[in-house]
Amino acid sequence: MTLTLVSFLLFVLKAFVVVMFAMNVAVILTWADRRQGAMIQDRVGPNRAVAWIPTKVAQGLAVGPAIAVIALVAFVVLKLAPPPEELAQRAMLFSQLGILFTWLTGVVIAGKVQNRGVTNSFDAWLYSLGDPRRIFYGGLFAHFLALFVGLALNDSAYAEQVRDIGYGGGAGLLILSVLFGAVYAAISINGEPRIGLRLAGLLHPAADGLKTIFKEDFIPPNADKFLHSLAPFISFFPALVVMAVIPFGDTLCFSLTKDGGLGNLMTAMPRGGMCTEGAIRLQVVDLDVGLLYFFALAGTGIVGAALAGWASDNKYSLLGGVRAASQMVSYEVTMGLTLVGAVMVYGTLRVDKMIEWQSQNAWGIFVQPLAFFLFFTASVAESKRIPFDIPEGESEIVAGYFTEYAGMKFAMFFFAEYIAVVTSAGLMSAIFLGGWDLPFLYRDGLHVTIGQTVIFEQALPHLVIVIVGALGFVLKTLTLCWLQLMIRWTLPRFRYDQLMRLGWRKLLPASLGNVLATGLIVMAIVSAGPGVAEFMALLADYSKAIVALAGLGGFIYFIVFLVKPVHKRQSLASTSAQFAAAAGGTRSARMSA
Amino acid sequence: MKNESTALGPNKVTGVAVSRPQRTASVQTYIPEIAKGLAITMKHFFQNTKEMAFGQRNDPNTEAIEDGINCVSYPEQKRPYPARSRGMHRLTQRDDGSPRCVACLCCSTACPAQCIHIEAGEYPEGDPRRGYERFPQRFVIDELRCIFCGFCVEACPCDAIRMDTGIHAAPYDSREQFIFEKDILMSFPGRDGSHLTANPRHEPGEGSHPGLDRDKH
Repeated sequence: MTLTLVSFLLFVLKAFVVVMFAMNVAVILTWADRRQGAMIQDRVGPNRAVAWIPTKVAQGLAVGPAIAVIALVAFVVLKLAPPPEELAQRAMLFSQLGILFTWLTGVVIAGKVQNRGVTNSFDAWLYSLGDPRRIFYGGLFAHFLALFVGLALNDSAYAEQVRDIGYGGGAGLLILSVLFGAVYAAISINGEPRIGLRLAGLLHPAADGLKTIFKEDFIPPNADKFLHSLAPFISFFPALVVMAVIPFGDTLCFSLTKDGGLGNLMTAMPRGGMCTEGAIRLQVVDLDVGLLYFFALAGTGIVGAALAGWASDNKYSLLGGVRAASQMVSYEVTMGLTLVGAVMVYGTLRVDKMIEWQSQNAWGIFVQPLAFFLFFTASVAESKRIPFDIPEGESEIVAGYFTEYAGMKFAMFFFAEYIAVVTSAGLMSAIFLGGWDLPFLYRDGLHVTIGQTVIFEQALPHLVIVIVGALGFVLKTLTLCWLQLMIRWTLPRFRYDQLMRLGWRKLLPASLGNVLATGLIVMAIVSAGPGVAEFMALLADYSKAIVALAGLGGFIYFIVFLVKPVHKRQSLASTSAQFAAAAGGTRSARMSA
Repeated sequence: MKNESTALGPNKVTGVAVSRPQRTASVQTYIPEIAKGLAITMKHFFQNTKEMAFGQRNDPNTEAIEDGINCVSYPEQKRPYPARSRGMHRLTQRDDGSPRCVACLCCSTACPAQCIHIEAGEYPEGDPRRGYERFPQRFVIDELRCIFCGFCVEACPCDAIRMDTGIHAAPYDSREQFIFEKDILMSFPGRDGSHLTANPRHEPGEGSHPGLDRDKH
């Protein structure tokens, strides 16, 4: 493929998207890590950065988007009438959306009312309904009712009336609930002098970043000034560019114009269809060596830490640098050997081909469960995070290899660690969790099929499928990042000998055993007859069903958990508590953010 | 493992035998224990995050959540001092607003830190209290020297000095600001908001007063 202007611009755009994703998530993680640790201990954590905005602007921010949504819905309903064969689909979409926004608004306002008490007659009515969970259960019931009524009456005599009711009623519910929620929010903040914009504390990492830029850049007098300044870049850069081989979405297919240029985006794709011409892969570089590139760059990261330790002219730094080098080299071996099993199963080194294999068969976590566990452990060790943060063990060697760094250079080491978290999570979600693949979502739409049994089918546009897949990839990556943070707040640090023993005597033999077992099983399945292949395909369908059901069940359980009311009891056992009660309590609004 | 109380040593100290942690297979392999630990961390994370986000956190001073911890997020939330806490001193007042202190110097004598300085004054000629009691012309407490032992409050025969303001020493920036004169000490109210005390005072000349001249009785 020759380098045209379009392909160059596309490359720049994709690189920009990936770098922005990795860096922003890493910045947020530096803060989210601390915030999570605090929340686990029922403290608030770094949450004090605030931007004050006038009440009128805040009201505008509440009502403005709502009006835009209403205008959009009204435009779609009034001007973009669907062709008759798509009317049923459209009616289903609008009725489900209308029900969703209705119960969502109800639950949010009911939660507020539970919290701050009844202020008007609507609040009183909502409060009289009791437990907010009932609104959610009612909404869930309405979702299923609308679904079944729509499907059951689709071919009956009343089909047309039902469609019209679903279409008009759904759109009406959607408009009313969005408008009501926005106006309710605007009225409830009316009279406040100003509104504090905290974004759940998200302004804090921005403030921290600004602070580190303006801090003193200290270089020890006897340090090697060039290498000391170079080291943070060497550890920062490889961590960032690893994302280049990880696809963040399915291939976008364009039609071709007569002169061979890119035309419009395809509206729909066949199920197994893969465009040969006019394909735009949503990954920065198309490398046949995919995984090898990842290991090459991950190996470069070692140099940064070792160099920082050596160039700082400090014994603690040197110890930290040596520890970092030996630890990362040790765990690199496990990382590499672990993925050999995955490479044998997928039969490729390209990450995008691996994801395609997983979308056609089963996710990597089902075919290589031990490898996922080993790779997860090794990549936590590779990013030098708790419980493997021996290179920067505060209780032994101050801060390890970045003891002598301050300001932005220190922040770059810190940052590189979190980018390594994001990239390893991205790679793990691509190799083991199917990347952009979501269960039962194929190139042409949703096909819930187990073996030959078709349960549900729905064709979807090409662009929608790609976008949903990309969002799925982001969600999986964030979940794995979050899991790494949770491990950091749970486990204590290993001792150095324990670390080495775990790496060389446990993980390495386990990964070798994984390679052997995978080889034997792959050979057995390949040489077995078509009956086994059919059985494996059925198992793969079951694995997708398991993921889909677990995801759905987890989501419902999470909503139920969120709307569960909290039971508190007054406890005025001490004179101190009596004084607090006499003062009207000591809870203040700032703590609730 | 036996779980009985046993008498140990010459002083018969009784103790309870605590069984040693068992090195079972699940502990030795480490992985189930990690999963358990993660589950506990996540439980607390989700619970606390939800309560924080929805403003359902309890008031740590007046409320309790079942099997939850009460974290006071200082300085946004503060735990009030208990009723018997010894805070800044105050000089209690009579009904007419003059200090109850009669400048007997009991408190400054009792003070182990010698932080109280009193200059006594006589009431003017013709005042019924002249010759019966005096008043403090100056009453100075060096709050930096004070060790908050409360001996002055114990020593006072007139309930004139108290430490029930509930205020802790403010972080002033110079030494002079910690030297509290009579007017400052009299300006502090007690925790109940009053400058008086619950004990009634019998002024000379009132019916309840036993009289200035004891020979009459």
